[in-house]
Amino acid sequence: MIYEILILIIPLIAMGFYKNIKITSIIAAIIEMFLLIPLYFNLSDSGFFFIDHITYIFILMVSSIYLMSLIYSRKYIHNVKNKGISENVYYMLMGFFYVAMEFALMVNNYGFMWVGIETTTISSALLLITEKSDISLEATWRYIIIVSAGVTFAFISVILIYYAFGTLTVTVILSKGIKDSLAVRLAVGIALVGFGTKVGVFPVHTWLPDAHSEAPAPVSAMFSGVLLPVALYVLYRIYEIYPMREVFVWAGTISVLFAAIFLGYQKNYKRMFAYSTMENMNIALIGLSTFTFAGLVGSLLLLLSHSFGKAGAFYSSGNVYEMSGTKSIDGVGGLIRNKASAASMLLSSFAVTGTPPFGTFFGEFLILYSVLSIHFYAQFGIIVLSLFLAFVSINFNVSKMLFRGKSEYSQSGINTAIPLIAAIISVFIGIVFLVVYHEIL
Amino acid sequence: MNIVFTVIYLLAALIVVTGFYIQSNKYLRSMVMTQAFQSFLIALIAILLGIELKQYTFFILAVLVILLRSFLVTYFLAAKIPKNKNYLYESKLPTTYYLLVDLAFIVVSIFIVYSISFIHIVSRIFPESNIILFPMLLFFQGLFIIASRRRTIAQILGYIEEENSLILMGTFILPVPIIIESSVFLDVLILVVIFSIISIEKTEHKPVEELRG
Repeated sequence: MIYEILILIIPLIAMGFYKNIKITSIIAAIIEMFLLIPLYFNLSDSGFFFIDHITYIFILMVSSIYLMSLIYSRKYIHNVKNKGISENVYYMLMGFFYVAMEFALMVNNYGFMWVGIETTTISSALLLITEKSDISLEATWRYIIIVSAGVTFAFISVILIYYAFGTLTVTVILSKGIKDSLAVRLAVGIALVGFGTKVGVFPVHTWLPDAHSEAPAPVSAMFSGVLLPVALYVLYRIYEIYPMREVFVWAGTISVLFAAIFLGYQKNYKRMFAYSTMENMNIALIGLSTFTFAGLVGSLLLLLSHSFGKAGAFYSSGNVYEMSGTKSIDGVGGLIRNKASAASMLLSSFAVTGTPPFGTFFGEFLILYSVLSIHFYAQFGIIVLSLFLAFVSINFNVSKMLFRGKSEYSQSGINTAIPLIAAIISVFIGIVFLVVYHEIL
Repeated sequence: MNIVFTVIYLLAALIVVTGFYIQSNKYLRSMVMTQAFQSFLIALIAILLGIELKQYTFFILAVLVILLRSFLVTYFLAAKIPKNKNYLYESKLPTTYYLLVDLAFIVVSIFIVYSISFIHIVSRIFPESNIILFPMLLFFQGLFIIASRRRTIAQILGYIEEENSLILMGTFILPVPIIIESSVFLDVLILVVIFSIISIEKTEHKPVEELRG
């Protein structure tokens, strides 16, 4: 229990040193990474916290992307001209945002999970106006009102779980096995719409492209890389009570299809990556919903690899935005002349579109296999078609940014290296999986 | 049914009426005050249930609702309504039309949602009744206000109405532990503070070209 408490408290202590919060936040994030080692050997399966191997992968994801985003923020946020919030407030909110996500993951109570998810909205809302403009204010508003209304709906699910079991403790409820009653079915179905708002399930996804496109690059990376997976984790924990395969797999399939269609006509590269997140999250949702071992492993692999790949894509987008001053795909051209930025953008786009040997490829492969294994052939066909459409749309647009036009961009330093490192980690995850767990394929 | 439960029924119906009043109102300050009254009615229900069932958690709930919703939330919202007359009310609002659409929306939603599923959820406090209908009515009203209004404060009120409906639903079905309920209240309070920060610069919401697609 001590490690869980430390994980929640250390970032808050770092905020106490408000004047030096830029440094202390990074130090705290590094300590958090080290704490993950003893945590792995002391997983908790009862009491106030509940951390199994699935939870651990999510915690690892959140801690890693938080650290990378903080390092990336040092220069990026400093260079923002029209700041809606001060730099110190930015780091403080990032800390709260991180703690809220870790809390939602670790806590052993559905009610507190809901509180954690709602707190992520509170803590991250003002981060969206770091690059202040009329559009970012509107995007912030949409984010708050749509997500809050959706997550409020999810509270009905919590009430119904309590009604059905008389407790909200996750381990107690899951230990009772699958229970079929109308209240439980309603709870799981409502959770799909409620928490699905934060996961990016169609049609309650509308906040997602707005928030991602207007947030500063490191915040977009946090949103795409870890916030949505955390919401997916909570949804999965509720789904475990009573798996409604048909409903969840269809919801994911339709969402993936629409994400692929939306990707076809994007003109803003950050919105494009946001829809890619919607696509990836829903594929992971499908994998988890199949309730098979292959589906579970595939989803975790996809989420882990995607978190680094998508963080890399948004860091790259931040670099491109800094250099070009535009978020328009057509406004950027000749990126290939800046080798490091071109490489990170290309590798990241490969990572998020499931190109081999990235971890996302093996994740998607296992998910597709699991869909076939439960004989959902129509869904399989739609998913394959959507994946193909998304792959072509994203890589075509990125190729345009790289090879078309003759603009000259120059940038160097750590912020050019970070997206490259993130993308390489995504490949590394795929290769490690292939070497260590090849028998599962 | 004893007299206390009859009064609770009437109060629940009155809460729904306040929801309709907010929906049909153009004046922002009046809408905010009606929200305060609506929250107060919820607190009153909690107090009555506390007395009748002899459970102290209902009293804590009532105190939280009065303190956080009726006073603090109302204070934050009322303070953000600009003194300028143009901002005091939504001038070109077809309230009668909205009220009719709201009624149609609620009737259809309730018919679908309640008759198919929630009709089988038996209230632990009022086992022989369909009292869950009232919070459901309020919930859909909140959703409709968010969807139909452009003013920031009007949309916040829609959101608070949704939250109020959940307190009421939890109270009628089976109250969740008070520690979780308290966390929910605090979350909503902070959200309202954030709402009010944003509403300083953004008082109205329209479709934005850059956020299409």
